Amino acid sequence: MNLVRAELERLTARRFVQLMVVLLIAAFGITIATTLASSHRPTQVEVTRAEQQAATARQEMVQAYQNCLAARAAGVQPGQDGYPANCAEMDPARSKHLPSAGDFLYQVFVFDQQIRPLLYFLIAFLMLFAFLVGASYIGADLTSGGMTNLLLWRPQRMTVLGTKLGALLGTVLVVSVLSSLLYLGAFWLIAVVGGLVGDPTATFWTDLSLTYLRGLVLVLMAGTLGFSVATLGRHTAAALGTFAGYVVLWELGARVVFEIIEVARPDQWMLSSYLGAWLVGRVEFWDNQACRPIESFCDGMYEITWRGGLLVLTLLVAGAVAASFTAFRRRDLA
Amino acid sequence: MSTVIEISGLRKTFRRLRGGAHVALDGFDLLVESGQIHGFLGPNGSGKTTTLRALLGLVRADSGRMTVFGEPAPERLPQVAGRVGAIVESPQFFGNFTGRRTLRLLAVAGGVPTSRVDAVLEQVGLADRADERVRSYSLGMKQRLAVASALLKEPELLILDEPANGLDPAGIREMRDLMRDLAAAGVTVLVSSHILAEIQLICDHVTIISRGRRVVAGRVDEVLAGFDHGEYRVRVAELDRAAELLGAAGLTVVGHPDHLVVQQVADPTAIARTLGEQGLWVREVTPLTPDLESVFLELTGTGHRSAGTGPEHTAPPDRGTGRDAGEPERVIELGPTATGSGEVPA
Repeated sequence: MNLVRAELERLTARRFVQLMVVLLIAAFGITIATTLASSHRPTQVEVTRAEQQAATARQEMVQAYQNCLAARAAGVQPGQDGYPANCAEMDPARSKHLPSAGDFLYQVFVFDQQIRPLLYFLIAFLMLFAFLVGASYIGADLTSGGMTNLLLWRPQRMTVLGTKLGALLGTVLVVSVLSSLLYLGAFWLIAVVGGLVGDPTATFWTDLSLTYLRGLVLVLMAGTLGFSVATLGRHTAAALGTFAGYVVLWELGARVVFEIIEVARPDQWMLSSYLGAWLVGRVEFWDNQACRPIESFCDGMYEITWRGGLLVLTLLVAGAVAASFTAFRRRDLA
Repeated sequence: MSTVIEISGLRKTFRRLRGGAHVALDGFDLLVESGQIHGFLGPNGSGKTTTLRALLGLVRADSGRMTVFGEPAPERLPQVAGRVGAIVESPQFFGNFTGRRTLRLLAVAGGVPTSRVDAVLEQVGLADRADERVRSYSLGMKQRLAVASALLKEPELLILDEPANGLDPAGIREMRDLMRDLAAAGVTVLVSSHILAEIQLICDHVTIISRGRRVVAGRVDEVLAGFDHGEYRVRVAELDRAAELLGAAGLTVVGHPDHLVVQQVADPTAIARTLGEQGLWVREVTPLTPDLESVFLELTGTGHRSAGTGPEHTAPPDRGTGRDAGEPERVIELGPTATGSGEVPA
């Protein structure tokens, strides 16, 4: 318990962590301020007009669905009329999002429609925060001699490293939850005061909460990964270099190479695909190679679900943690 | 006296990624008993710090046996860590933390009452600067902070690796007094240093390591006595004639520009008597008692660094043992030793 206390104090007292918290708040502040500045409370005239446009759009959706059904009943083949093979995909009743007044209000922040991308931004920034803080926390300790000092006091490597990881994840979680509350609360306030709340249903809140929880898992994973890679490389820069190297060489470089040599389903080799799948529940990709040669209608789509995403990300993080703890247990410390 | 540290047959090889290996410890032995101030000497790269790191669990030894307070190290180090205070090489701290905060965090992590922080800051003379950031400290102040961190636990065993690094003369003296006070209070001290005069002043026992092996161990006075070759410096008016007379009297004489060194002298009055009887009046007859530095230089084969400037009793070229240059010249053990036996000088 003493070690946990000491590590929490050591972590929160570090300048880099404090700087990152300031940057986090600044980024959120700028996002909130920009949204606030670009939103206004709509007049009744604007609302009425938007509602009419939304009603029209909904009616058009119903019409398109009925046209699709009629075409299929008439024997028109998919691909000849621009409608999908399965008209149910166009069924307004099954649509996750029906046009609403918010879609037709301009310069108005509508909470239930615009909070999701803002939530993704929040999660992305928190992931970056966790990764950098995690890498720097252990990296600085390993290079500054802080770890050696600590091990002279507590010659229990696994306990010390585990406590550090625990302190990191605990701190990241608290910072993430607190900053999220402030961030999401600020947007709710903007919607109430200077925009529209929209029509947040129970489903909306459930989806938003699940996305947020999945995002928190990603934040903790990012922190763990930064910590583990920096431990393996004995330096903060090892984690940053690995991250930059992965993005440039694999996500960008290998993707181009895969396209040139016409590899099937290249997206399934990219971590970003699994990350997205976990966060949003399911992502679909188009496989260029699936429908060659094109002879008839072909559905080249494939999907990665949150289960696949969770599996891949968990294996990655667990592997990194296992490798870092194993290496740390055996290695000579400077 | 009970054994506090026992190391036997310690081996450690550092391997490089591109191949090649550096043997840091080659069957090293060390024995430190309760109440000793034990000096640990060796040239740069001889394995001192590696030994201390291995003992403290920071480096994994390839083989060998180590115990601290009778507990196998590093396996059962956690059980005795509370009784051991240590600094290893130049310790570094977070520059943004104050000295007091640095110590407080260590105290909290180690379950030591934070009230000890002020006491050790006072003890090492850092109380006045305790609330300044460590980055503003001089090397000597950082060294004091490191010693303070080692003292926090009120250790029964204090391991200090180069504690005088960066200290000014007054600081070195304070460190010496501190070690004496601690020893007087019953703390066993193992101290490695390059300042041989300091070791000779402070320590009652010494172990010298060279190329990863122990080359001498024992009480400091016994080690020095083992290297006393019965040499005397003689200053007299006619050096050549005096050398001739002493040689004729059966003494071994080595000539120098302004004096003679007479070796293997059992009775120094024989020198004055032999020369006086021939009308040569001796101006000076001084026994050349070895000091730790000369012993160190001779044993570790680093004497050539001070050729021409060292004391006269530094081993002359013909005193070598004919060993390979990479081998320690001799292995000597005096007093209680760890395992194995050594060769006692004649």
